[in-house]
Amino acid sequence: MKPDHSEILERCRTAVNRRFFIGRAGLGLAAINGLMGSPGRSKGSETPVKPGVDDLPHFQPKAKRIIYLFQSGGPSQLDLFDPKPELKKRFGQEVPKSIYPDERKTTMSSAQSQFATSPSVFKFNRCGKSGLELSELLPNVGQMADHMCVIRSMHTQAINHDPAITFMQTGAQIPGRPSMGAWLNYGLGSETENLPSFVAMSSRGSGKGGQPIYDRLWGSGFLPSIYQGVKFRNQGSPVLDIYDPAGVDSNVRRTMLNYLAKLNEIKFQSTGDAEIRTRIAQYELAGKMQASVPELLDFTQETKSTMEMYGKDVGRQGSYAFNCLVARRLAERGVRFIQLFHQGWDQHVNLPTQIRRQCIDTDQPTAALMQDLKSRGMLEDTLIVWAGEFGRTVYSQGALSPRNYGRDHHGNCYSVWLAGAGIRGGISYGATDDYSVNVVENKLEPHDLNATILQQMGIDHERLTFPFQGRDYRLTDVHGKVVHEILR
Amino acid sequence: MNGWHMGVGRIIENINCLTPIVAIMCLVSGPLAADEISFSSDVRPILAAKCFNCHGFDAGSRQGDLRLDRRDEAEYVFSGADDTALFWERINSDDLEFRMPPPESKEALSLDEIEILNQWLLQGSPYEEHWAFRGPVRPTVPLVESEAIRNPIDSFIRARLIKQGMTPSNAADPVTLARRLSQDLQGLPPAANVVEEFANHPSDKAYSDLIDVLMASPRYGEHMAVPWLDAARYADTDGYQNDRYRYMHVWRDWVIHSLNENMPYDQFVLEQVAGDMLPDATLKQQIATGFCRNHRINSEDGSIPEEWHVENVVDRIDTIGTAILGLTVGCARCHDHKFDPISTKEYYQLFAYFNNVPEWGVGPNNGNSPPFIEVPKSWPNLSEDENVAILPAPLKLREARKGQVGNGLKRPQAGSPQTVMVMHEMKVPRATYLLMRGQFDNPDKSELLTPGVPKVLLSSLAAQPQSRLQFAQWLVDRENPLTARVAVNRVWQQIFGMGLVKTSENFGTQGELPSHPELLDWLAVELIESGWDIRHIQKLILQSTTYRQSSETTPAREKEDPENRFLARAPRYRLHAFALRDSLLASSGLLVEKIGGVPTKPYMPPKIWSAISNNTYKQGKGKDLYRRSVYTFWRRTIPPPMMVNFNSADREVCVVRKDRTNTPLQALTQMNNIAFVEAARFLAERMIEHSVDPRIAIEFGFISLVSRKPRNAELTLLLDAYSEFEKHYLAQPKAAKALLSVGQKKRNDSLELTEHAALTMVASLLMNLDEAVTRE
Repeated sequence: MKPDHSEILERCRTAVNRRFFIGRAGLGLAAINGLMGSPGRSKGSETPVKPGVDDLPHFQPKAKRIIYLFQSGGPSQLDLFDPKPELKKRFGQEVPKSIYPDERKTTMSSAQSQFATSPSVFKFNRCGKSGLELSELLPNVGQMADHMCVIRSMHTQAINHDPAITFMQTGAQIPGRPSMGAWLNYGLGSETENLPSFVAMSSRGSGKGGQPIYDRLWGSGFLPSIYQGVKFRNQGSPVLDIYDPAGVDSNVRRTMLNYLAKLNEIKFQSTGDAEIRTRIAQYELAGKMQASVPELLDFTQETKSTMEMYGKDVGRQGSYAFNCLVARRLAERGVRFIQLFHQGWDQHVNLPTQIRRQCIDTDQPTAALMQDLKSRGMLEDTLIVWAGEFGRTVYSQGALSPRNYGRDHHGNCYSVWLAGAGIRGGISYGATDDYSVNVVENKLEPHDLNATILQQMGIDHERLTFPFQGRDYRLTDVHGKVVHEILR
Repeated sequence: MNGWHMGVGRIIENINCLTPIVAIMCLVSGPLAADEISFSSDVRPILAAKCFNCHGFDAGSRQGDLRLDRRDEAEYVFSGADDTALFWERINSDDLEFRMPPPESKEALSLDEIEILNQWLLQGSPYEEHWAFRGPVRPTVPLVESEAIRNPIDSFIRARLIKQGMTPSNAADPVTLARRLSQDLQGLPPAANVVEEFANHPSDKAYSDLIDVLMASPRYGEHMAVPWLDAARYADTDGYQNDRYRYMHVWRDWVIHSLNENMPYDQFVLEQVAGDMLPDATLKQQIATGFCRNHRINSEDGSIPEEWHVENVVDRIDTIGTAILGLTVGCARCHDHKFDPISTKEYYQLFAYFNNVPEWGVGPNNGNSPPFIEVPKSWPNLSEDENVAILPAPLKLREARKGQVGNGLKRPQAGSPQTVMVMHEMKVPRATYLLMRGQFDNPDKSELLTPGVPKVLLSSLAAQPQSRLQFAQWLVDRENPLTARVAVNRVWQQIFGMGLVKTSENFGTQGELPSHPELLDWLAVELIESGWDIRHIQKLILQSTTYRQSSETTPAREKEDPENRFLARAPRYRLHAFALRDSLLASSGLLVEKIGGVPTKPYMPPKIWSAISNNTYKQGKGKDLYRRSVYTFWRRTIPPPMMVNFNSADREVCVVRKDRTNTPLQALTQMNNIAFVEAARFLAERMIEHSVDPRIAIEFGFISLVSRKPRNAELTLLLDAYSEFEKHYLAQPKAAKALLSVGQKKRNDSLELTEHAALTMVASLLMNLDEAVTRE
C-alpha cells in the first residue's frame, strides 16, 4: 500500500517502533502491520501542535527559523548588487547579440530596434569590514554587510512574473506544487500553539511597478492543507475572522465556547467519533488565537528606539516596516517560517526614480530587522533570505538617457542575498559577465538556493519527500545542490 | 520439485541471517492483506517504487538492459532457477557492491520489503499485468446468507467483513437516514416535514421514493456538479498574474443541467471532449467542450505565445488523464513514464489530439480567448433553431500595446461576457512533435507524430482513434479498461468520503489497490450495462444496507479499521466547504434557490483582491449574497478564503480528491464570519417567529440545523446559555444592536432586541455544533 496524505505522519511515527522491532526480534508484528496495514485516518495529525516527519531534522540545523523577504517584481541586480563600473564606457552601445541572443527576451521588448547598454546611474560603495560592494541605494543594509552573502549568479528559466515567482516559491513554474513554507511545515511541524507556524505577509512599495501576488505562493499544493501558510492580511482583520463580530465581547465568546464544548461532548459520548474531540480542541485553540494575534500586533511594549529604528512607517499596518517588526515578533513567538512579499520592483520605465523609492521604503526596515535580531541574539539562528524572482536587462527598455532608463525582465542572471544562521557574511558568491547578462561563475538555479535554505534548517532536500500521484515529490524536484561554499 | 524450488533451496542454505518465513505467513494481518503475498498488492508496488527507475519503462534511464515492469521481459528473471537465485542474492546480499538497489540510488529496500519479495519468490513468483489495464469483467456475486443483503453491494461488503471477522452496524435511525440522503444528494439539510414524514413511515418504498424526490430537485445537479467542476478546474478568471476575467458560467450551467437531466455518463464525457465534432452538433454539445478550455491561460505581458500554447494542451491532457482515466500521464511529458507503461512519444501522440485548436498561447488580458462563440440570450432555453453549433469567429491578432515601440507581443481578440470558450478543429492540423524534456522550443523534428492512444490501454483488436472525436469515443468505449471504473469510484468517493480505490486520481501502478476489487468491477460493468446511468449506480449504493448503517463507533471499532475501508459502519465526516455554507444558509432561511447564471459575489473580507492584486472585488447585494456556493465567483489566484479554509479545491489544476482538515481557522470562520453571523441572526428570527417560548424556539432552531430534536440534557444546556446571553444583552443594548446589524440584510425591527440578540448567539452556538456541519 502506498502511504498517503492523511497517513503519512502516522506512518512515520510508527517507523521508529518498526525499526526497534526489526532490530530486536527480526521481523515483528508491528513491522508487518506497518507495512501491510493501514495506519488509518490520522486524527493525531490534526492536533494543534503538529509533529513533523519523524526522521527530521536530518542533521543539526543552523537555523531555527527563516525570515524570507521576498521582493516581488524583479529587483535590478545592476542597480543594487552587481556593480559593472566599466559599462559606463559603453553607454548607449548595442548589447552584442553574442552576449544577449533574442530567444529569451520577453515580448515586451523583443521587437525593439535597438538594445542599448544602460549602465547604472548609482554608485556602489564598499561596506563593512569586508568591503562588500553594495549600491548607494542601500546605506542601512550596507551597515550589516558583514553578515550578508550576496549571490550574484542566480539563474532562472522563467522570464515572466507568474512562472518565475511560482518557481522560486514552489520549485516549479507551473502552479500545483507546495510552497517552501508548506514543505518546512510538513517536515518540521510546529513549535507554536497559538500562532500558525507559517505566516505570509504582504506590502506595497511606493514604486509604481506593483505586480500581483497569489495565494499559491504560500499554498500547500498537494500536501495536506494543514501545512499551508496563514496569510496575515495587510488591511483590517489580520487573520481571517480572528475578531469577534460586533456586539460579541470576550465574555460572550467564553460563554458560547463553554456551552459548545459541553454540547459537543454529549455528541461525542453518543457517537464515539474522535473527530468531535479534535473539534472541541480546535475551538479552544481558536479562542487562544483570538487573544494571541492582537497581542502580537500590539507594539505598545516596544521601546521608542526600536520603533525609530524601523522607521516612520512602522506603525502603519500593511507597510514593509510594519511587517518587518511583526516578523521579529513572530520569530520570538516560535513561528518557523515567516515570509514577507514586498511588491513594486517591476521597473520597466523610469527605473532610477522608482527603485530609489523602493529602497527608501525597504532599506531601513530591512537593516533594522537584522540589527534587532542581532541585539537579541537571534540573528545567529535566524536565516534571512532577500530575493526576487529574476533580474533585469542591461539594455534599456524604451528610451535611454544619461539619467533615465527602464529595464525589462531578465532570467539569465540575478542577485539575492542571505544572512544570519550559518551564512558566511561579508562575501559575494558567483559572477556574471561584463554586461551582467550571463552567469560566468558558480551558476545557481532556484533549486540550489532552496536546497541550501533547507540545509540550514537541518533538512537534506533529497530526503524530504511526499508521495503524490504515484511519485515521491520534493521541493527541489530532481535538482538542487547545496552551496556549501557560502556556509560557515 | 521444479526449478525454482531447487533454486530457492540452494539460496536458503547460503544465507545465514534469514528471517523465518513461516512466521511472516502467519503474521500478515493488516486490514487489506490477503492470505498470501499478492503480486499486484504487495510486490508490484515495491518493484515500482524501488526498481522501475532503472529497470522500468523509461528507456532513457534503463540499466543493464533489464526490465522488470513487463511480464514478457521480466519472466526470465522470475522463472529460471538461476536467474531467480541471482535476483534473490542481489536483494538479500550484505555486500553493498553487489546489493540491489545500489546504495547511491537512495532506494534501498527495507527489511519488510525484502521479506515480501522473498516470500513471493517462495510462492513461485507469479507475475501479473497491472489490474487496471485489463478491462472489468462482471464478477460473481459472493453468496452471503443474510436478510440484510439488499443488493450485490451488500454481498461484496459483507463477504469481506466476514472474512475480516468484523460485524456490521445496525441501521441508522430514520431521521439520520433522511438527513444523510439529503446531504449526500443535495448538499443541503432536509426540510423538517420531509424528515417527519419519513420518520413516521420509514418503509423501503418510502426510502426509495425519498431518493427519487431528492434526485428530481434542481438542487441535486448543483450539488453533484461540484466534484466535476473541481476536476474540470472551472473558474471565472484566467489564473496567471493579473488573473483577468473569463466567462465560462454557461459551461458550468451545462454541467448542472446535464446532471439534472441524468445525461448518461458516456454522453457526458463524449460531448465535453468532442461535442463540437459530432455530426449535426447542437449548440449545447458545442458548449459542453468548454471543459477542454477551462485550463488557465497566461495573459502576462512579455510572455512567449508558443511556450504557453504548449501549457494549454498539456493541461487538457493532464485533466482528461486524471478526471476520466485516473492516470498521471503528465509524468511522460519530459521522459518515459517511470512506473506506468506510457512513453514520451505516446504522450505527444495524446497531445496531438488536442493540438489543433485555433488558439493563441497568450490571452487577450480580459475576456474569453478564441475560439469562442456567442451564446443566445435565451440560454439555457434555446429554441430548436438556436440549438445548432456555430462557427467560432476566426482568431484575430492585434498588437498588445499599440504605439509602444519595441513590444513584440500580439494578443487575440477578447470574447465578451455573452460568449463562451469552446473547442474547434483547425482545417489543417498543427504539426505535433515530441518535445524533448517537455520544452516548447526543443521539438524532435525527425518524426512527425500522428495522434494515438498509449498501447497499453488499447485492446489488441481496436484501431487507433484518428481524431479527437474518435478519441472521445474510445474513452467511453466498453473496451476502455479505466473510464467506467474511475467514474463509479468517484461516485463511491463522493458518498462514502473515500473511493474503493483511495487514490481516485491514480489507477496506475503507483496508485492504491481497490479495497474491494470485485465490487469495483461489478459496479463498473453495471454502469456500462445500465447505459452509463450514474443515478442508477447512486441509487444502488443509497439503497444498500451498507449505506444505511449507523455511523456510531467505539474506540475498539476505530482501531479495528481506522479508515473504515471495510464499512462495518457508515462514514461520518464534515461537510464539503460548499455544502457547509449552503446548509447554514438554508437553515437560516436565507438561501436563495435559483439555478444558474453569472457568478455571484458573496461576502468577502474587505479589499480581498485589491490588497495584493490589481483588481477590486465588488461585493454583491441582496439576493446575490445568498446564492449557493457553486455560483460564487472563483478567482483562481485569490480563491474565496472561506472555501479554501474548508479544503475546497483551488481550481488551478484538475483535482479529484482533497483532504479534509479540522482546524482552529475553521472554528474562527464558523464563529465570526459575517455570513455565518448574519445567518445566525436570521435563524434567530425564524426561531422567534416560531414561538415566543424560548424552549420551543430553541428546539425549532436545533431541528432546523441538525434535523433531530434535542435531548433533554442538550436543551437544558441551551436554555442555560440563552439566559446567560439574555442577561448580558439586557445590560448592553448597544452590543445587542451591534450584533443584530452584522450583515447587509436588515432585521425585523418589531422583534424585541434582547431576545433577538440572545437567540442569535444561541443560533450561532448551534451552527458551530459538530453535528451541524457533519454528515453522519
